[in-house]
Amino acid sequence: MTQFDLFMNVVATGVLLGSVYAAVALGLAITFGILHIPNIAHPALVIMGGYFVVHANRFGVDPLIAALVGLVPFYLLGMLLYSFYANTFERRGRADVLQSLTLFFGLSLVIEIILVLAYGSELKSLTAPYIGSSLRFGPLTIPSRLLVPAILGPATVGALWLYFRYTNSGTAIRAVAHDERALSIAGLDPAAIKRQAFGLATATAVIGGAALAMIGPIDPFSGRFQIGRVFAIVVLAGMGSIPGTLVVAIGLGIAETLIASYLNPAWSPGVAFAMLLGALALRPQGLFGTVR
Amino acid sequence: MNRLIIENLSAGYGAVSVFHDVSIEVTEGEFVALLGTNGNGKSTLLNCIMGFIKPTRGRIILEWDGKALDLTALPAHEIVRRGLSMVPEGRRLVPSLSVEDNLRLAGSNPVVRDRLSQNLEYCYQTFPLLRERKAQLAGTMSGGQQQLLAIARSLMGVPKIIVVDEPSVGLAPIVVSQVIEVIRTLQKDNNLTILMAEQSFLQAIDVASRAYVLAHGRIARNFDRSSGDIDHDDIRRALLGAA
Ligand SMILES: Nc1ncnc2c1ncn2[C@@H]1O[C@H](COP(=O)(O)OP(=O)(O)OP(=O)(O)O)[C@@H](O)[C@H]1O
Ligand SMILES: [Mg+2]
Repeated sequence: MTQFDLFMNVVATGVLLGSVYAAVALGLAITFGILHIPNIAHPALVIMGGYFVVHANRFGVDPLIAALVGLVPFYLLGMLLYSFYANTFERRGRADVLQSLTLFFGLSLVIEIILVLAYGSELKSLTAPYIGSSLRFGPLTIPSRLLVPAILGPATVGALWLYFRYTNSGTAIRAVAHDERALSIAGLDPAAIKRQAFGLATATAVIGGAALAMIGPIDPFSGRFQIGRVFAIVVLAGMGSIPGTLVVAIGLGIAETLIASYLNPAWSPGVAFAMLLGALALRPQGLFGTVR
Repeated sequence: MNRLIIENLSAGYGAVSVFHDVSIEVTEGEFVALLGTNGNGKSTLLNCIMGFIKPTRGRIILEWDGKALDLTALPAHEIVRRGLSMVPEGRRLVPSLSVEDNLRLAGSNPVVRDRLSQNLEYCYQTFPLLRERKAQLAGTMSGGQQQLLAIARSLMGVPKIIVVDEPSVGLAPIVVSQVIEVIRTLQKDNNLTILMAEQSFLQAIDVASRAYVLAHGRIARNFDRSSGDIDHDDIRRALLGAA
């Protein structure tokens, strides 16, 4: 393998990894980027989605089918979470950021504990015909366990983009980000629209979870490693931009694999952190400062 | 008789009361002006009617087709679905959405969405300019164009009554005349029912069939064109709160 071939392989792996990060970050792009709710429990929900897929997989269900089926219960779960959040916090005006963070931090701990109690704390993995093989494209060798989940990211981004662009409820979600009163004037209930958006965000957690569990085994705490990464992606992508989320996630994936291959694998988790600091510099009002 | 009845309404912000014991009526087909100088509570009253602010006292009743609906406790979107629509102060368009998406949004609530495409077509026929610019982002249009869009948007909900809050704010005088003229023509041609707040009363009084003057938190006077011409000096005195 030539130096160039190696470089190409590293970049290709980065693109694939970044596409998976996009699937994990998308839900947060909706909750934090559009609704301005700092849902730090999203990575935990993603892992919960992963466990849903792992569980179904034990009964021989293909991970992709399981993820599709899981969209429905996770959508409902998300609506329930939003109702709880709105009733406790948003009733008296805007929610306090610290209180919201506490709530979602608590929620991620609860999710982790439930997963430990139900499945134990050891690593769980998936089996599917496409996990384990690899494909060759000229000089590129792409492991299928990366290729299939990497398709999930862009596919979900594409579906969401079409939804936001071409459906009435998608348009309403874009509007709620700007002005709730504009929705009321349209005869639409802003609370219902936000609940729907939160449901949608939570539904994407199953897809992100399926993608993560295909790449490698997961345990109940795997979400913790994603928190900094997904927030960095969402903020850098420009708060709520769906295509931006994909672009930034892929950029991060490439940066991480380049650094892991040429410098030191131990540094790659720091890349997201460096990008996060960069993001803060670009957004001086702070990560949780209101933009409105 | 189809009408909107505001009965002994009082409202304010926290401990600060803005108006007390306001009673007004708007009957089907009427163009009613709500006059008042800066900060006299016109917007507060209209927002109260639309459900954005809860009154501390009084009732808001919509009597239509033989039914009396109490709107007082309903949230804004429910009031809109029952037939009141609003052209709010500052227009409240979604600047990052296209002209058409702004219209669609208002036409997509459960009560009217079955007729969304007909209603959209009606808006485009009434305002050909909006059809030409349907793909343009609302935020990039001129102030006057945005005001037209806000008026068109209020039609998408097929309203019984349109509540218009100071369409003149932030517009050049010549554009103000055009916008008021558009509202007048629209009202006449379609026999719409309009309640419009304005502080530049000369133009409003020209197009209105009746007017209320809000001063010092009360309805100081009301004028009716059918009982003779409206004396401008009379209105000026009322606006300033003179008895
Ligand atoms: N959100 C608010 N909180 C507290 N006070 C408010 C609020 N909005 C308006 N007020 C006060 O209520 C009073 C009435 O204001 P309002 O906006 O209803 O007047 P207006 O007649 O619409 O004036 P303008 O012609 O300038 O639009 C003013 O004294 C204003 O300062
Ligand atoms: Mg006002």
